Amino acid sequence: MNSLRRPLLKILLSAFFILAAAPNLHAGKRIGVIMTGDIPYYGAMHETFVTELNKKFAGAEEIEIILQRPFPDPISWSNAARKLIAFDVDLIVTYGSPAAHAVIHEKGRIPLVYTGLYEPDNTAVKVKNVTGCGFKVPLSSILRYLKRIKTIDTLGIIFSSIEEDSVRQYETMHLLADQQNIKTEKIDILSRADLDKLKTKEFDVVFITGSSLAHLWLDDIVSILDEKRVPAADIFPDDLESGLLMTLYQPSHTQGEMAAEMAWQILLGTKPSDITTHTFRETEMVFNLVEARHLGINFPIQLLIEATRVIE
Amino acid sequence: MMQLSQSAHILVRNLLVCLLICSASLAIMPVNAFEQPQELLIGIEPEHNIFDQMERYRDLADYLSVQLGIKVKLTIMSRYGEVLKRFKTLKLDGAFLTPYTATMAIKELQLEPVVYPVNLNGEYTSEGYIFVRKDSGIRSFQDMKGGNIVFVDPASMEGYLFPMAFLHQHGITDIDSFFNRYFFSGSHTSAIFAVLDGRSDIGAAKSTTFNAMTNNDPSILQELEIIARSPKVPEFTLCLKSEIEPDLRERMANALVLMDKTPDGMKTLQQFRAISFVKASKEDFVIIENMAQEALGSFMIHGK
Repeated sequence: MNSLRRPLLKILLSAFFILAAAPNLHAGKRIGVIMTGDIPYYGAMHETFVTELNKKFAGAEEIEIILQRPFPDPISWSNAARKLIAFDVDLIVTYGSPAAHAVIHEKGRIPLVYTGLYEPDNTAVKVKNVTGCGFKVPLSSILRYLKRIKTIDTLGIIFSSIEEDSVRQYETMHLLADQQNIKTEKIDILSRADLDKLKTKEFDVVFITGSSLAHLWLDDIVSILDEKRVPAADIFPDDLESGLLMTLYQPSHTQGEMAAEMAWQILLGTKPSDITTHTFRETEMVFNLVEARHLGINFPIQLLIEATRVIE
Repeated sequence: MMQLSQSAHILVRNLLVCLLICSASLAIMPVNAFEQPQELLIGIEPEHNIFDQMERYRDLADYLSVQLGIKVKLTIMSRYGEVLKRFKTLKLDGAFLTPYTATMAIKELQLEPVVYPVNLNGEYTSEGYIFVRKDSGIRSFQDMKGGNIVFVDPASMEGYLFPMAFLHQHGITDIDSFFNRYFFSGSHTSAIFAVLDGRSDIGAAKSTTFNAMTNNDPSILQELEIIARSPKVPEFTLCLKSEIEPDLRERMANALVLMDKTPDGMKTLQQFRAISFVKASKEDFVIIENMAQEALGSFMIHGK
């Protein structure tokens, strides 16, 4: 009898732990969310998404959100996607290009709403059961403003070769710089150790692409650049005021709102293929005068006029 | 008694003769209804960089002071577009005005257009451009619906009046419902930057600023596309109030028109970034007035 009781107890305990760890199977609708990286830009987008979705359902249906914030690397993105497919969620929402591609790669039947995707028209997301929204920031404007702040012989570009959107941004900026006879210095971030490249390479200014890896270590990057007295511009907002000189970005809340609208429609029965994708182009530009003073840069007043916000 | 009376009579007669001579003298003297100012105060509409603008105009004012023998002073009007108000409150004698404000000032303040500066490209006119980013997907008027548009200022011909006339020609009378959002950038340069940066889908600005920016940075032409152009109108006009003596107005016009004939004048023109001045004509502003009537007849009246 005792010999039977022990395995039974083990099975019961295992079942209890599995049920406790697993998502609520009695929820009305379950949405799986994957952030390409646990960075403030996607965090803000998700916050808006949840708020808007709750407003839309207004308690009419119980919504459970399973949030995955993997470390930015291909295996983790893939694992996160597989986990949500295994949970058989009703819908998957992704922030950033690598997470969206990881879900599409798994070829599951679950509808996908991508958001936070850079230039969605230029990447392979036009597949069945997929819709979403993304953004475009004119990188030429970033280069134009940087040129007005400082003479540029060499432009450093921080990107991550494992992040598809970051690579496209690198390529665009490299091309723009090349057209204007500006040399570029490639800084590929795959691990924290790669930040040391910033110490050895020489450049006049730095552009930071929308890489999640780079943004995980943004404070460290800015700290190294500060020591070298090199100004940096970013395609994501500097919400934590790390010390970037300028940012030109698409506000995250508009994409979060649209993702919520799309998710709501799909959960009510609309096919993703019947929902039109959208690219947001409105941008905000922030100049950090504190950082400019710190770097000894005399900011032209004509540039300040163009800013949406100035940090003083 | 008789003697006194005769003397008094002669005295009265002489007085009357004197009075008549004085009256006659006064009658044949011309009555001067015009002002003979001790100094002239000229207003300037603020541009993108007012420091640079003041620098450019300062030498011109000094040159005119020497040529006319009257101190010519400059003042920047506080805000682009408040010309009609500011002209009176600042007690200006004249102003360098942009096309729409010059039209309004000629009509409502009876200012006289005197000269136009000819820019370094040999033009004294500008056009209004409506432009978009090439990657915006906007190719025509129909594609503009639901987008964002940036205007320059309600008192700008190129940056507001022309796009409003363009919209009116296409049957749009309510820009609030046609566009998602519209806003004013305050300068032509800022309107162009707003579209370049993606802060607006559609922009309106003057050709001279647009062309100067693209000459300076040709990469802009790879990004922007002009989808509509206005007729050419005088870009800047020096207007003087009608109370200024015609002779002084004429001397000022001549001093400016002949600037490119003297070394000092050439030097001043170089600083002013112009190659010469040409005489202005009221007829040049009829087209703007017609555009204003067409464009703003159905919309709110702006720009005063």
